[in-house]
Amino acid sequence: MHKCKFWFLMLPLVLVFAMAIPLKTFAANQELNVIAAYNAKHDIFDKFSRDTGIKVNFLDMSSGEVLARMRSEKGRPLADVWFGGGVDAFIAAKRDGLLEKYVSPQAKHIPERFKDPEGYWTGISLVTVDFVVNTAVLKEKGIDIPKTWSDLTAPQFKGEISMSNPSISGTAYFILYSLLSAKGKVKGWDFFGKLDKNIPFYAKRGSEPPQKAAIGEAAVGLAPGLWKGLQDQGYPIKHVFPEDGIPWWPAPVAIFKNAKNMDSAKALVDWALSKEGQKYLKTKDPRFPARKDVPPPKELKDVDKNDFIHVDFIQAGKERNKVVNKWQERFAK
Amino acid sequence: MKYGETRFGASFFPKGAPFFPSGEKTLYFLILASVFIFILWPIAAVLFKSIFIQGQVDFSEYITLFRNKKYLLGNSVLVSSLATFLSVVLGTCVALYLTHCRGKGKKLIFGVLLLSIISPPFVSSLVYIMLFGRRGLITCKILGLHLNPYGWHGIVLMQTAGFTAIAALLILGILHRVDRNLEFSAHDLGASTLTILRSVTLPLALPGILVAGVVVFIRSLSDFGTPIIIGGKFTVLATQAYLNVVGLYNMPRAAAMCMLLLLPALVAFVIYRRILGRFDYVGTGAQLETGRKRIRLSRGIEIFLALVTWGYITFEILKYGTIFAGAFTRTWGFDFTPTLAHLKTLSGTKLESFFRSLRYAFMAGAIGAVLGVIIAYLLERKKIAGGKALDFISDLPYIIPGPFFGIGYILAFHHPPLMITGTAFIVVVNCIYRQLPISIKSGTAVLKQCDPNFEAAARDLGAGEKNVIKDIVTPLMRPAVLIAFINTFTMTMITIGAIIFLVSPETKVATVDMFGEIKRGRIGAASVLANLIIVTVLAVNLLFSWLYVRKGKKDRD
Repeated sequence: MHKCKFWFLMLPLVLVFAMAIPLKTFAANQELNVIAAYNAKHDIFDKFSRDTGIKVNFLDMSSGEVLARMRSEKGRPLADVWFGGGVDAFIAAKRDGLLEKYVSPQAKHIPERFKDPEGYWTGISLVTVDFVVNTAVLKEKGIDIPKTWSDLTAPQFKGEISMSNPSISGTAYFILYSLLSAKGKVKGWDFFGKLDKNIPFYAKRGSEPPQKAAIGEAAVGLAPGLWKGLQDQGYPIKHVFPEDGIPWWPAPVAIFKNAKNMDSAKALVDWALSKEGQKYLKTKDPRFPARKDVPPPKELKDVDKNDFIHVDFIQAGKERNKVVNKWQERFAK
Repeated sequence: MKYGETRFGASFFPKGAPFFPSGEKTLYFLILASVFIFILWPIAAVLFKSIFIQGQVDFSEYITLFRNKKYLLGNSVLVSSLATFLSVVLGTCVALYLTHCRGKGKKLIFGVLLLSIISPPFVSSLVYIMLFGRRGLITCKILGLHLNPYGWHGIVLMQTAGFTAIAALLILGILHRVDRNLEFSAHDLGASTLTILRSVTLPLALPGILVAGVVVFIRSLSDFGTPIIIGGKFTVLATQAYLNVVGLYNMPRAAAMCMLLLLPALVAFVIYRRILGRFDYVGTGAQLETGRKRIRLSRGIEIFLALVTWGYITFEILKYGTIFAGAFTRTWGFDFTPTLAHLKTLSGTKLESFFRSLRYAFMAGAIGAVLGVIIAYLLERKKIAGGKALDFISDLPYIIPGPFFGIGYILAFHHPPLMITGTAFIVVVNCIYRQLPISIKSGTAVLKQCDPNFEAAARDLGAGEKNVIKDIVTPLMRPAVLIAFINTFTMTMITIGAIIFLVSPETKVATVDMFGEIKRGRIGAASVLANLIIVTVLAVNLLFSWLYVRKGKKDRD
């Protein structure tokens, strides 16, 4: 009798347990594992699955984490495809032999400087740095919307600017490296010294500043790309592209060395670089497409590409330690 | 405890304590081996990583740490000590209120305590910013203050709020067992209630209070999430270790930081094992007392305890209310219109992660409970060679900070013969062994209450070892299995510290999704997930504690 009741009680649990399994059987015959650092991943991979019948499992992971894990696992692939992230991490991964060479047939439509010359990674889109500005906070404080990097050093922004730590975040490192190269070493470091006075603390992740600006914890967040998701949620934010120079880098896609699902992996790379794929990507995460023949999304039509600060990414990767150490000496405790 | 009983040098299975039927000796060796592999080896791997740099013994990471980053250790110890002190003081007040006062609403208090030990990490920090941030609902919108919420004070506040519940439950467990006759005697001899509390009740409860302190101290040391989200400029060792992995690609330094973090944890661990020699805290089945059978505390003390307790409970209710509201509010902080829109974010892959969490938690719970109880039985009833080592090693995960245990697993299991990184197996195994100390403790607690003579009697009456296990030990151990199961299940559902380093796209779990949503700033979506996890875990907990109580009642009838 007692046993009976025990099982009667266990029944709902077993049911829940069983419910969990059929979900798995929905899986299509082909699967693909992706490490992704891209907005609107759900939509993007859903669309890919509908187009190709390949089911995608994905995990959101920062580029640094991918590198650290692959290195400590001695190059064992974490997944099949690495989708988006900082180009510096892809360059480092190529150097460490963690990537598989794949020149997609679509890659011929991608300009040279957005892809690896040997075909280890290919740019999908360009990440551009902008200011995520909380209009409600600025209005309340009676401050004008900042338009240039120099505007951010004004005293009224004291405590109101959020930037991530360049030693951790790729975004912040590109801001640092690009502005140093655009302004020159002396003026550049001088600028970061002034900016530092307005930054209460350096955030620990690249995605934190836009979020801090959205919820009003800061008036301005220095952010990678457009944060459509935050806007759609109704936060009073506006994206401002600095008139005196826009740091940018390509967000690549690459296949991990010894990937298990090589064919599906290639299918995703081809899809992401195809004209249709590129068009879909830009509607979900509005960035400049890497392809020459796909126009930029409407959100970016006012951005002047002449404002881009061009840097040598490989050089940026090489100088990373030197520059970051110098930054830390000055501004980190 | 069992140390004295374990005799080294004696034959493996001395007379008088027959081991399992032959063939099952292998079981013991398997268990011993598994404990070495899944606990000791990952720890050793972290140590090796921190001192072998490019194939050579190199202490430079430690030298750099001591030269330039000594403040990190200081920060960690400072925050943990403060959080521990406050949690223990608050926890003691709440526990005293529950046992010694005659107020109403004790069920509610108990429920809130349960709720706060089963909610996933990061929830507190999220709420902190929603309520007390620079534009938080309370500080800015209601009180109109402009305070800086970021810094050590925020960490201490939220850790205290989070850990007071566990401290209160641990202390409650021992307060129940404080002999009320002693209190009455002191009362009859004319002592004031304050004196009784100070010189009778609290000294008797001291082991429980100390254990609570150690538990909170270690949890606070290994918490890297709270400082990341609300620490601002202030940072601690656990956070830096995490960031060294995910941001700086510097595994050796992360490993060295993990080792450094172990120092204060080890000190606490030694204290903990000393005390635990005399005291078992698990499985005390904290029931509610009405306070009628206890001495009547003076009015002043009663009011004080009630104020502290209800203050804390209000804060916690506010916390969970906020999370609940966050899931149904359009844009927290700007547009408080109620909406169901965030529920839509629970789409296919997220539900899949959630059910995967459930599956892993059931597996880890079931296997962990059985394993823990078997080890408890071996340690408690059998005189086995290596028992002391087994006991010590299987207790270690208790003090290993989550990131340490995760990093150790990556380092230890990425090459043959045990190449299991990226699989579901590694996630489940990590959760099982991380909770093993509690699983074992719940087993030993039950065994200690049962007279070993039952088993001896059965043997004298001619029962074979198989029957002893089947008819005597197994039924006795059922409550222990239940407690061990529910603990491992709960922790697996809400953990993130270790498994964030172990998940792969195919083995992503719900807490990882939640962490991702917080990272992306989607408060609504994160709150929906948090609610889903909390409600599920709470339901399973209630179901099992109901089973446990019913079982207890039946046994008494």
